[in-house]
Amino acid sequence: MAPRRTKSSGPPPPANTLVLDNGAYTIKAGLVGADTETPAPNIIPNCLARDRDKKVYIGSQLSSCKDFSEILFRRPVEKGYLVNWEAEKEIWEHEFFDPKASLHCDPAETGLILTEAPNALPALQTNCDQVAFEEFGFARYLRVAAPTLNAYTDIQSIFKSPPRDPASTPTLPAEILMLIDSGYSHTSIAPLLLGRPIQSAIRRLDVGGKLLTNYLTRLLSLRQYDMRNDTYLVNEIKEATCYVSKDFKADMERTWKGPKGDRRPVYETADGIAKDYVLPDYHGRAKGYVRDHDPKAATKLKEMVKGKAMGASEDVLTLRNERFTVPELLFSPTDIGLRQSGIAQQVMDSLSSLPMGLWPGFLANIVVVGGNSKIEGFVFRLQAEIRSLAPAECIVRVARPADPVVNTWQGGANLAKDEEALGRLSVTRQEYEEYGAGWVARKFGGR
Amino acid sequence: MINFGVREVANSRATAAPGWAYVPDTSVNASVTALQPSSRTRVRNQPTASLHETTAKQEAKILRELAALDRENHRDVSIPVPIRHKDNAGRVSHGKSTPAVRKILQSQKTFANHLSDFEAFSSLPVPSQPTVSTPAAPAVRATPTLTGLAAAATAPHLTSKGTRSHKKKDLNTVSTPTPLRKVSTASQSSTPLPIKSEPSQDIPMPDAPLLSQGNSTIPTPHPGDKDPLLVSRIPTMPAQEEIEKLLAAPPMTYNEARGPWVYEDRMKPIRQFCEVCGYWGRVKCKGCGGRVCALECLQVHQEECFTRYGA
Repeated sequence: MAPRRTKSSGPPPPANTLVLDNGAYTIKAGLVGADTETPAPNIIPNCLARDRDKKVYIGSQLSSCKDFSEILFRRPVEKGYLVNWEAEKEIWEHEFFDPKASLHCDPAETGLILTEAPNALPALQTNCDQVAFEEFGFARYLRVAAPTLNAYTDIQSIFKSPPRDPASTPTLPAEILMLIDSGYSHTSIAPLLLGRPIQSAIRRLDVGGKLLTNYLTRLLSLRQYDMRNDTYLVNEIKEATCYVSKDFKADMERTWKGPKGDRRPVYETADGIAKDYVLPDYHGRAKGYVRDHDPKAATKLKEMVKGKAMGASEDVLTLRNERFTVPELLFSPTDIGLRQSGIAQQVMDSLSSLPMGLWPGFLANIVVVGGNSKIEGFVFRLQAEIRSLAPAECIVRVARPADPVVNTWQGGANLAKDEEALGRLSVTRQEYEEYGAGWVARKFGGR
Repeated sequence: MINFGVREVANSRATAAPGWAYVPDTSVNASVTALQPSSRTRVRNQPTASLHETTAKQEAKILRELAALDRENHRDVSIPVPIRHKDNAGRVSHGKSTPAVRKILQSQKTFANHLSDFEAFSSLPVPSQPTVSTPAAPAVRATPTLTGLAAAATAPHLTSKGTRSHKKKDLNTVSTPTPLRKVSTASQSSTPLPIKSEPSQDIPMPDAPLLSQGNSTIPTPHPGDKDPLLVSRIPTMPAQEEIEKLLAAPPMTYNEARGPWVYEDRMKPIRQFCEVCGYWGRVKCKGCGGRVCALECLQVHQEECFTRYGA
């Protein structure tokens, strides 16, 4: 029998658990104790960055950066999977094992819950296990697919209806949950039953925040300024201005300038769709901001075009259809020639591989997490699209937790508090040394 | 020769090579007509037969643009790890690293490298594995439940939910949500056993959480419930074995998990956008096949449109 059931023989479980949601864009990390209050997680950029002056920032040092122009990134997580351990180790050392770090911990006395994207390559998973035990030497370790942890949050409280008895305590993990995780690298759709993924129904849509940012970069570079070296800034523009359109065709008409000689009057403001993004100059203005489009405002671009000085102090990007055609890629990837269906169809495709009897349960419990779900109008549009595809008898509920970025981490923290469940799922260092990496891989793989 | 014999390879339509063979070929040979067209100008932009088929040139362009959208930085850079951190001076030592870990840390493989390694590896014939190491899905087992019922006996009682309609609902099922099934939690089935362990049947299976019926209030019965036009039909819940089988399925590979382009979406025309302003692309450039919205944008486009090879 597996040795973890004979608990008396092993050492006592570590008091603290480092919950690490190791995303491609940011690490969500925090130390969780069994009986201490759960702290808010630190959100650490998962990158090495180099600015114009060749200064290199590691992880959270990025917040000390003053000038983000032409900043370059090296990310250890590629396509959602932890690939480059040299860089990742550097970041982890800096954030967790440096004596000055705010999350300092001694791995020999700490457990680790580490997330990974579903459907990872076995070689990368083995690398991960080896580094966790042999390089860092964590006392206990659980590698888990990130969507799974969301089942350990109280998902019913996210849905507004039906009203719930406030006294009832949620049982974790959630029984049935369709989780959509739309992150930096990709969007994954995972049906979860009792906190376990149904592996055969997991789908991945290769559209993530990075692709959206790069697409916006391309549009802006073609139409206005060359932003190709400023993806950090374009990402901020995307987060500040993009929205998912409720009526794509109508919005498109509003933002068209019209044929030559027949300019549409609606074009200038486009019924409020046109927005100006004032670019930072990293001297007086360290951060850009959005405001409604003002056709009369003096901008540097106009000065350049007209060749006369108007005393403009601002560089402004005017965004019109860029605001909604960029997030539209999540719902219609063929717009850029990517031969995949949109999120709603992927959800239906995932369901189609499941018995019909489970459909009502999954359709009524759809939760979206990840940074892209913060885009305005995302949840509304997703619910509308799934509603139109799903059987009419089924209730479709789509909800987003209060903070979709840390929800996975929150689930991990809840799991870390549940000593019984965590002990069952994870692997101790002794077990690793006794049974080896192959055994650990099989245990985490459910095989 | 067209293009000096160079043909683009990024092609969804596999064009047969024009090769030679001593066979009488009386039919129209597509590869020959492709190489010796009547008009030389449009070889790579031949009109395609089906809705979504693209010419080789368009296809290459799409692939190139998608690759560009996938990049981390606009240009290739290497940001080395700062050197002062490489010696572990003044830091917590994690002990001596093993050769395997050193190899991992020094590896500069990208995800694409790992993926092609994996693809090459999985295309190899599988060597016969010793069967002891992987106990076949210990999850699918009848759990001795409180009532002592075998799984087969619980199955029909589950289907009471299957035909759930208002007319069938009596009040006592409402007040006590029937435990529908017993499904073991993650631990039991996901526990592979060490190689020398005893048979898996001896694992004690603690009572698992259930898929409950929910505790929401059921609407009051209504005389219209029996109306065949109003009855709502809920599909039968799958049996416990079926759910266990679903949960025990091994993970798919990276490529298998990629979401498909479903049939309904293939039937829809692909939306085309103006390459200049982003409005609907209603006009096609004669030179390159790119889309623009109207004459004004076409003029802008043609200033830069050049039909160099590969562009």
